[in-house]
Amino acid sequence: MFIVNFFTILIGKILSGILHLLGKNAGNLPGLVLCTMRKNALKAFKIDCPIIAVTGTNGKTSVTNFIAEMFRKSGADIITNPEGNNLDTGITSLLLNHCSMTGKVKADYLILETDESHVPVVYSKLKLETLVVLNFFRDQLDRNGEVETLILKVNKFCKTFTGNLILNGDDPNVARLGLANPNNPNVKYFSVEKYKYATDTLYEAGEGRFCPRCGTALAYDYYQYSHIGRFVCPKCGYGNITPYVKLTDIDLQKPSFKAEGVEYATAGSTIYYMYNLCAVYAAAKLYNIDQKVIRKVFKSFKVNNGRMEQFEYKGSVLTLNLAKNPVGANMTVRMINECEDEKEMLFVLNDNLADGYDVSWIWDINFSIFKNVTRVVTSGRRAYDIAVRIKCSGYDEDKILVRPDLDDAVKELFSTGGRKFAVANYTAVQPTRAALNRFIKGEGAAK
Amino acid sequence: MTLKILHMYPNMLDLYGDSGNMELLRYRLGKRGYDAEITAYTMGDGAKTDFESYDLIYLGGGADFEQQLLADDLLSCRDKIVNAYKSGVFMLMICGGYQLMGQYYKDSNGKKIPGLGLFDYYTVASTNKRERCIGNIVIGAELEGRKYKVIGFENHGGMTDNVKTPFGKVLFGNGNKFGSDTEGYFEKNVVATYLHGPLLSKNPKLADYIISYCLSRRQGSPVKLAPLNDKLEEECRKVMLGRLLQG
Repeated sequence: MFIVNFFTILIGKILSGILHLLGKNAGNLPGLVLCTMRKNALKAFKIDCPIIAVTGTNGKTSVTNFIAEMFRKSGADIITNPEGNNLDTGITSLLLNHCSMTGKVKADYLILETDESHVPVVYSKLKLETLVVLNFFRDQLDRNGEVETLILKVNKFCKTFTGNLILNGDDPNVARLGLANPNNPNVKYFSVEKYKYATDTLYEAGEGRFCPRCGTALAYDYYQYSHIGRFVCPKCGYGNITPYVKLTDIDLQKPSFKAEGVEYATAGSTIYYMYNLCAVYAAAKLYNIDQKVIRKVFKSFKVNNGRMEQFEYKGSVLTLNLAKNPVGANMTVRMINECEDEKEMLFVLNDNLADGYDVSWIWDINFSIFKNVTRVVTSGRRAYDIAVRIKCSGYDEDKILVRPDLDDAVKELFSTGGRKFAVANYTAVQPTRAALNRFIKGEGAAK
Repeated sequence: MTLKILHMYPNMLDLYGDSGNMELLRYRLGKRGYDAEITAYTMGDGAKTDFESYDLIYLGGGADFEQQLLADDLLSCRDKIVNAYKSGVFMLMICGGYQLMGQYYKDSNGKKIPGLGLFDYYTVASTNKRERCIGNIVIGAELEGRKYKVIGFENHGGMTDNVKTPFGKVLFGNGNKFGSDTEGYFEKNVVATYLHGPLLSKNPKLADYIISYCLSRRQGSPVKLAPLNDKLEEECRKVMLGRLLQG
């Protein structure tokens, strides 16, 4: 075995070295080669430190970055995948870049964003200490299959998992993982108190309306967003949880919240963001992170990766947000509405492999609530599909401009001043950032 | 005039933006000065629902779990739905809705869910859950004697057999089975298909076919629809047809 492991690492190192020499990004390829060559390639690594994994449909990248920052600011030596690369192949590549020739990985903590469907794949080979599960929404149905299939995969893993399980207690799809292994004493739920804009009825397409235990329709006190809210099964009581962490006094104006009686100021101001921080807080509490560090990170840390990222051009402010599924997009539309001034919007929609080829999810976005949006520019490979979608929600078709080319779209958007918002799906985010930066630096005009 | 639409199980069968088809019909009716009254049918509403009083009955697609939950309820409405169909009510059925109107649906676990038996076809899903027809699809349909390319997205594990009058000929994609020549089921007042996406947003002429059928039946004489500005829709079709059929 030793010899096999040694050669696995050696080949990986050589590959990774060649790619670096060629100036290529070694984010995925070496891992892909190793995992294809040897199914158990991950077993070649020797890891003594605790591993914390973050999974769920939305918010993985942000939460992983936040938890990593908490540990970093506490002086710990960490290894993390801050830019995704969250499949077994990406994680293998990451570990290759950080291990010795004997496969030893030296760090205090590994904090790994992990794709939902890859949780069982990766952590049947690496020993996991803590799993944080954020939410399960419909996402890329053509690639992932039904949400239920995905939940069952993670659920199967949880049946034999005895480590810390940090679960969103307000998502019926996630909380059910707490039932998977009755012998695991380390199940911990996080929850967020009802906030000002919570609704009595379901506002956007949601999943998990039925009790996973007995099939009865779940009863909700309130919905925070999508199917996230305080729920309980009227028949069997599923959903009656005692939270390990509960955020209270959510104030999106300040913005701030309270946890265990202490007020924390935050950099972001959406309910969706608060849920992410709630998960981060639960992890920080579990690992005894100093309150001063928590306060500092919550107040000032930003994940600038197309997640609520700000751009500015001649006094005109643009906020770019990733939205790769209906829930993410609906949250962004709500956020755009919370800005009461007149504004213009850019929507970039792609249908590449990583996005899912199926764009039917855009019909689950509730555009009918648009307020004060004076113009919409659409772009990307499916620019016309999103234009038709917005038009049929009742938005004036004369105010919709289709510019499939991103540079053209950005130029069009900034042909007027004022507040702007941009929404881009998964593979559209980085090209959109690049096009915005090109334009702002003046290269857009040269095209 | 107001069209009465019965949207069955909207809270359970809405997997792929299926409620978009309802939004589309309301939009295209509204632009022409007609109203749409859309009634949501949920489990247990069978006894109080007069299916024949509607102009259109709509069923979307759902996950296996939901499809099992609602099967008994749907069967309890069998006779009423059969009568509605026979009296000429338009039936629009997507994916799971399509399957449930046939003889039966055997899911990937081998579990057989009886269908309403309106039509002769039946559906069997592969026991390998990974074997699914997934991807963009284009079919050649004929609406009132005119050829029309219908675009959509299919994602189904069920293979449907014994279809007497298919909706169209497959020009790109799989259709009723892997590599099938045909897709869906069609009659004058029935469109049953695997195409979601939502179907009507990509195919405005199909939407208008359904609208004009329903309005004419309600009025008792042919209704001529005013044309709409479908520039964006036509551009969208051009891009997709170009990509899929000339690629």
